Amino acid sequence: MLDKDCNENKCAEQIKKTFQTAEVEVKREKRVTVQLRSDLIPPFLSFAKEFMEFKHLSHMSCVDWVEDNELELVFILWNYEQQVQIIAKTRIERVNAQFVSVKKFWNQAETYEREFHEMYGVNFVGNDRLGEFILEDWEGVPPMLRDFDSIKYSKETFYQRPGREDAQNVRATIAKHSGEEVPGFAKDYTIRNIED
Amino acid sequence: MAFDLKGILTPFAALSQGTKPPHTVKYPAEQKETAHRYRGMHHNDLEECIGCGTCSTICQNGAIDMIHIDGYETNNGDSGLRPRVDNGRCCWCALCVDVCPTGSLNLTSDYIYVTEDPDSFLWTPGVDNAKDGKEKLSWQSSEGKRLLDYERVPMKELEGTERVKSFAEVVLGYTEDEARKEADRCIACGICTDICPVHMHIPEYINAIARGEDDDAVRIIYDNNPLGEMCGKVCTRRCETTCAINHKGDPVAIRWLKEYVTARVKNADVIKEILNPDIAEPNGHSVGIIGAGPSGLTAAYYLALKGFDVTIYESKAHAGGMIMYGIPKYRLPLDSIDKQVDYMLSIGVKIKYNTKVGTDITFNELKEKHEAIMIGIGFEVPYPIGLTGEDAKGSIQAVNFLYNINSGINVDIGDKVAVIGGGNVAIDAARVSKRMGAEVTILYRRRVEDMPADWEEIEGAEHENVIIHPQAIPLEVISDENGKVTGVKYANAEMIADDKGGRPRPKIIEGDEHILPLTTLIGAIGQEADYSFIPDDIKEQIEISRGRIVVDENQATALPWLFATGDIANRQADAISAIADGYRAVKSIEKLLLKK
Repeated sequence: MLDKDCNENKCAEQIKKTFQTAEVEVKREKRVTVQLRSDLIPPFLSFAKEFMEFKHLSHMSCVDWVEDNELELVFILWNYEQQVQIIAKTRIERVNAQFVSVKKFWNQAETYEREFHEMYGVNFVGNDRLGEFILEDWEGVPPMLRDFDSIKYSKETFYQRPGREDAQNVRATIAKHSGEEVPGFAKDYTIRNIED
Repeated sequence: MAFDLKGILTPFAALSQGTKPPHTVKYPAEQKETAHRYRGMHHNDLEECIGCGTCSTICQNGAIDMIHIDGYETNNGDSGLRPRVDNGRCCWCALCVDVCPTGSLNLTSDYIYVTEDPDSFLWTPGVDNAKDGKEKLSWQSSEGKRLLDYERVPMKELEGTERVKSFAEVVLGYTEDEARKEADRCIACGICTDICPVHMHIPEYINAIARGEDDDAVRIIYDNNPLGEMCGKVCTRRCETTCAINHKGDPVAIRWLKEYVTARVKNADVIKEILNPDIAEPNGHSVGIIGAGPSGLTAAYYLALKGFDVTIYESKAHAGGMIMYGIPKYRLPLDSIDKQVDYMLSIGVKIKYNTKVGTDITFNELKEKHEAIMIGIGFEVPYPIGLTGEDAKGSIQAVNFLYNINSGINVDIGDKVAVIGGGNVAIDAARVSKRMGAEVTILYRRRVEDMPADWEEIEGAEHENVIIHPQAIPLEVISDENGKVTGVKYANAEMIADDKGGRPRPKIIEGDEHILPLTTLIGAIGQEADYSFIPDDIKEQIEISRGRIVVDENQATALPWLFATGDIANRQADAISAIADGYRAVKSIEKLLLKK
């Protein structure tokens, strides 16, 4: 159990002592970040809640690190007594993403998990409410994954309001003004399509 | 019925609420203030906006169009377009604000907008809320929220003390990783292409570099500039001054990226292998070009590709013109020029070296040999400084000095040199003198900020301990009994505001005269062209005004077969403008001879 006057530094020490593979950093006053192996998250959450008095799960979040082919799960915990925040992070495989449900520690985790399941495609083992949540009849790539093509979806889903026909292409407007003739092979590298 | 005291008193309990503020809404209703950094309707500062369209590109709802609005035209640094938002689609995520390179686009605290007409949801920020939008800015782009990378990948250079020991190239060039990272900063708006005299396809070749497709980047560069490597090293890069990122951060290092991708091509054979040029069959037409400077080489290259028989007549032993003889080798090494010229020779360009038109071959002979002639001789004759005693031994001209040094001819300058002038030629002469071991002072009439030289060149000179003496007006060259320069007399000047609104003028401070001891005085106050090779009857038929041959927008003179390019035809005095002239002349010559 932590002392009454426990601060962020003591928290960090305690975590380091118990979870020796964790990367612990005091970010600033009252804030500690912890990077853990994914299999250590449940014991860590249990330890933080039961032995360090981090009774409150403030927030859960998910980040898509598509370049690393990984998803990051983030758990933000709060200690009311000491007014200290822990941000615990872990990385999991992005393809067929799976993680153990933490709703046995905090009931509200169930809702976050339902959201991550729908938006990022993460399967939380032990959460039996992972059905349709916010999106209706959604098929295809979960929309918060970075390889979801938002602009393509917008164009296919929403109609083009009348009155927008006068839109101009910036690259083409400048090329026309200067008389620049962009050759066909170079257009493969034109990010803003000249013929739009 | 029993007496019910509670029943009597309870209604009076309501009186205790009389002193408390009401929970009901006041009438008339007061509008509460929105949250700090609320994301409401857009506002665009139309004057700040450059119409780069990055807001439109990033919008994940396809809600932003770029449109023409009255009063804004396409010009250098501004597409003339402005964003219009479809508020029926906008989700107020503010990505458009966080990516705006000028900071002109922001969100306001306004969020109430009611209409029965769905089409009136098209809203042009800054036009439709021109009246009060600016006072209601709420979500604004700021440090920590910006999505653009404002810091340039620094270019490594030799230290100043190291540089002056040799003529080794000062700029060390980007590594592959550095180039990819720097190329990734470009937002591909293409604003920069307008001001580039050649209108190079800048966003495309930078994107090719960012994607790791260096060979494609070289192909894109060569589409309208066959001297890409030279430009990569010494271009005046107006593109970077109009770069959208330049408004709040460092402009994309367009020049260094071009240098990276072209300098990595080892030799002329590899250039040819990469470009695999499509050379047209000979078309039977012949073109003569006078001068193998940037404009002459450019025209010759593209004409040769189109099947013309092209010959350049070059008075010197090497091609390149001012880029060969005027630019010191620590900025543009000889092997770089050779590589680019060798490639041109390999596709059929012919160069007759040491052939001065007017001396070794007459202009009329040229006229008989070729159907069209292009003159690109540059400004090579220096203006005299205009001082008493200027003819003394040891009083030399910068262009001649640089020519000799770049030709490998030894010049004895002694240990104390003064350079008069403030342009790039003056700085080049000073930095070369420094490399020859002299103590160097630049005397310039006006302030340092008035110097026409590139700031990087001025800074480079300062790092190499060249003394820059601004507001110094030379009065007289002093020499000894043998006619050898021993010093220059100069006066300090104060700057006087110009009543007509022009830049301040230097005025000599009476009595504040000094003598700077010297072994060599170098003049660098400008050059002009030598047209003596042009026969009088031809001269009479074309117009020469203020030292330049007058041409139209197609580089054509008054004579249909005669074209002029480069310094003798434009006022820009830089290589990239000369290349643009050469490129334009190709189209004109093609039109003339092939009737295209």
